[in-house]
Amino acid sequence: MKSEIIDAPDFSFLRLTFQEAGETVTSESGAMVSRDAAVQMKTNMRGGVGASLKRKVLGGESMFQNTFTATEPGQHIILAPAVEGDMKEANLTEGEVWYLQRGAYVAHSGHIDINTKWGGAKGFFSGSGLFLLKLTGPGTLYYAGYGALREVSLNNEEYICDNDHVVGFTDGIQYKVEKFGGYKGLFFSGEGLITRFNGTGKVILQTRNPSSLATFLRPYVPTKNN
Amino acid sequence: MNIELEYKPAHTLAVVDMQPGEQIRAEAGAMVSMRGDVSIQTGGPKEKRGLLKRLKRTVLSGETFFTNTFHTNQSAGRITFAPKLCGDMVVHHLSSDHELMIQGSSYVAAPDSVQLDTKWQGFRKLFSGESLFFLRAFGQGPVIINAFGAISHKDLQNETLILDTGHMVAFTSGLQYRVRKASSGWISSFLSGEGFVLELSGTGRVYMQTRNPSDYGQYVGSKLPPR
Repeated sequence: MKSEIIDAPDFSFLRLTFQEAGETVTSESGAMVSRDAAVQMKTNMRGGVGASLKRKVLGGESMFQNTFTATEPGQHIILAPAVEGDMKEANLTEGEVWYLQRGAYVAHSGHIDINTKWGGAKGFFSGSGLFLLKLTGPGTLYYAGYGALREVSLNNEEYICDNDHVVGFTDGIQYKVEKFGGYKGLFFSGEGLITRFNGTGKVILQTRNPSSLATFLRPYVPTKNN
Repeated sequence: MNIELEYKPAHTLAVVDMQPGEQIRAEAGAMVSMRGDVSIQTGGPKEKRGLLKRLKRTVLSGETFFTNTFHTNQSAGRITFAPKLCGDMVVHHLSSDHELMIQGSSYVAAPDSVQLDTKWQGFRKLFSGESLFFLRAFGQGPVIINAFGAISHKDLQNETLILDTGHMVAFTSGLQYRVRKASSGWISSFLSGEGFVLELSGTGRVYMQTRNPSDYGQYVGSKLPPR
C-alpha cells in the first residue's frame, strides 16, 4: 500500500493506493472521502460488541469501524479527519505502543490492536475524556490533530503541555495531569490543566485547541427564550 | 531570547527559546508547551493585588485580561505559544520611538523589557457598549501579536486609512485614531453592515486581520442549538 498525505498541514487528507488485491485499511467511521467503486467496504464492530462499546464509551471513538479491501492493484481510497489540520503516519513495530487522545485516530493498516486505557480522573475535567486510545503494533497508524502536529522527542526529560493540546505519546513516557499554577491558576491563568510528561519517547501535540474554539463560540450561541 | 514562528499561516505556533534568567509575559491561556528550566508565575510581574481584589475586578468589570509570566532560571528553556483561534502571528519590534496599541485578544507575549498598560482607556470612552479593549505596549523588544486569519500590515505616510473595528489588530503611536460611522448617514451606515469604523491618520504602521472574529462567532454561533 502506498500512502500520500496531501495539503498538509492545514487541510490534510490521506490518499492510499493499494498495491495488490486483498490489501486492507481500517478507518474510523465517517473518515472516508471517496474510494474506487470496486474497493469493498465492510462495517464491523472490531473485537466484538464488548470491545466496540468500550472503544465508543471510554475512548470516544465510534463503535463501528470500516474495513476497505482492494480487489485489484492500483485502486485508491481517500480518508480525512473531521477538523481542519494536520495528518501524520506512524509505523509501529511489533509490540510498540502509542496512546492517542479521543478523536485523533483516523485509520490504520496491518495488525494494530486498538484498546482503551484509563487516562486518570483529571482528564475528565478537561473534556478530553477519561480514557486514552491504546494502539499496539505492528502496523501503520494514521492520526490527525486540530492545527499543525508537532512531534517532540524526549530523552529522559520532563515536558509540560497544555492538556487540550496533547494529541498522543508513545510508550516509555509517564504523565501526570495537574492544575496549572495551583488554585490561583484555575481562576487567573486561563490554562485549565497541564500534562507533565517524563521519560523517553515521543509526545505529539496540536497547535490549536478545540476547547478554546468552543469557548469562543459560546457567547454567540442563541439562548432559549421560554 | 529567540522567537521563531512555525506552521504559518493558518495554525501558527510561536517557539520562544530563552537564555538563562530571561522572562516573558504571555496572555493567559496562550502557553502550549514548556521544556527546560522554566517557572511560571500567574498574574503579571507587577500584579500586586490580592486574590479577592482581582476576582472582584474580573466579576465587576468583566475584564478578563490576565497574563502569566514565564522565566528561566539557571539554564535555558523553550516555551511555545498559540492563540485561541486559527490564524497567523507576527513579531513587532518595539523601540523607544513608538508605542503599540494592541487589540486585547491580539496580544500573545512579550519579554519584560516591554511594558504593558492593561488599563489604557483610549477606546473605552469612544465605544459605549461595544467592548473594544486595547492594550498599550511600550519599551524595547519584540511583541508577538496574533490575528484571526492572515495578518497584513500597511505603512501610512501622512495618510488616512479607514478600517473596520473587527479587523483591527494593532497600530503604532504615530497614528491618530477616531471612531466614526461607516458612511455619512446613520441609515446607510447601518445598512452597509459596517457599523463603526476606525479612521487612522498620520505616519505609522497598522496591522489588520483578514477575518473578523465577531462576524465568525455570529455566523457559526447562530447555527448552534440554543443553550
